[in-house]
Amino acid sequence: MNPAVPTWAGVAASLALVAVAVAIAWRQRLHLAREIVLAAARAGAQLAAVGAILLIVFQHAGLAGAAGWLAIMVLIAGQVAARRARGLPQALPVATAAIAAAAAATMGTLLALGVISTQARVVIPVGGMIVSGAMAATAVTLTRLREEAAAARPAIEARLCLGLPADRAFAPHLHAALRTALIPAIDSTKTVGLISLPGAMTGLILAGVSPLTAIRYQIVVMYMLLAAAALAALTAARLAGHTLFDDAHRLRPLPAPAGKDQR
Amino acid sequence: MASEEAALFSLEQVTLRRGGTLLLDQVTCQMPAGACTAVTGLSGAGKTTLLRLLNRLEEPDAGRVCLDGRALADLDVLALRRQVALVAQAPVLLTGQVLDELRAGQPDLGAQDAASLLEQVSLPAAMLARGTAGLSGGEAQRLCLARALAAGPRVLLLDEPTSALDAVSTHAVEQAAKSFIAAGGSVVLVSHDTGQTRRIASQVLALRDGHITPVKEPP
Repeated sequence: MNPAVPTWAGVAASLALVAVAVAIAWRQRLHLAREIVLAAARAGAQLAAVGAILLIVFQHAGLAGAAGWLAIMVLIAGQVAARRARGLPQALPVATAAIAAAAAATMGTLLALGVISTQARVVIPVGGMIVSGAMAATAVTLTRLREEAAAARPAIEARLCLGLPADRAFAPHLHAALRTALIPAIDSTKTVGLISLPGAMTGLILAGVSPLTAIRYQIVVMYMLLAAAALAALTAARLAGHTLFDDAHRLRPLPAPAGKDQR
Repeated sequence: MASEEAALFSLEQVTLRRGGTLLLDQVTCQMPAGACTAVTGLSGAGKTTLLRLLNRLEEPDAGRVCLDGRALADLDVLALRRQVALVAQAPVLLTGQVLDELRAGQPDLGAQDAASLLEQVSLPAAMLARGTAGLSGGEAQRLCLARALAAGPRVLLLDEPTSALDAVSTHAVEQAAKSFIAAGGSVVLVSHDTGQTRRIASQVLALRDGHITPVKEPP
């Protein structure tokens, strides 16, 4: 294998492309030149730092270090997903638990079946993809659940008034939120290779691996992302379904549904 | 006031505050069984919230609400809501078919029983096969009342049930309430319509500034 990876000199040469962007911003008086330079510098510094840390983890930490790294990713992803679902009771523990459950189950299956190696250099990037997919599905699920619960309060309370327990009164709305959360993962699984060449496959091809070998990895990646999204969405929906109601099967007060999600 | 033995609901020193407003201020009152108690008051006085206390959609901040002398908090809440059915002011339909609507809380309800429920609210049995999308406001409200009756409750909580209805639907709802009482049931009615409270209620309670005053005593 002869990986076609740029040298550091090549990376420095690619700064010419940043200069093109800066030149356009300057010529068009967009007042963005400084921001472009800072963004480019920041991207370089962040990636260099992550690269250095990953190098240390890959060489010294082993599977335990990789698991620790993934745990930190899960905590950060939980914060991000919970921020989207602001106003939902217990959003942070629910989001974190959903992402953790999805990551643990998906990663555990891949490792137990021997589909991927237990080396840190494999576990961390694959785990990162899983956590990222689980985070996106969790954020959409919780946001939709909050909106459904606030907007459909009259219908939910009408079911509660018929003596239905909270889970049955909320079931139609929970299913609607789950469907919405899973559509992106299903659509990207359906169109993979047709509309986009996904990241893992692109990376392997750039690194000199044969396309027929690269697709094997990509197939596993798509299947694991589908599972991670489904598990995260289901776990988030089940947990949030409980926190939305109190012990007397009453829908808790929620912020009024806003026209647009807050940024 | 009704005697202690006959009280269906009794509120004991109930205080309820919502959104910074004191809706009920240490309220003590009784509502008799086998009759209609009407609750009147200005908009925003807390009439709907009072009704929601009676099936535990709301919880008092202090004091207690009892059914047959037992605190609601000690009863199974799901069984309570099947016994004490609430019909909201605006009809909320949950399904696409009239028969499915009647089965929303009672999946085993037979077609014969469903037809009988429609008759109780003066709707034709032939409506069972219809979709709910084309129903008028009056038909939808009567269907909600029939849906509430499907579980065989002993108490009906009616929240301004005819405020947006025409005379025909209003008469049908009132007749259904009277028949329900005649069959041994009890009704708590929130209404602005003094004519309606006069026609149906044997006790009228006025809610104002957090306090309840009886304006018509039960016989």
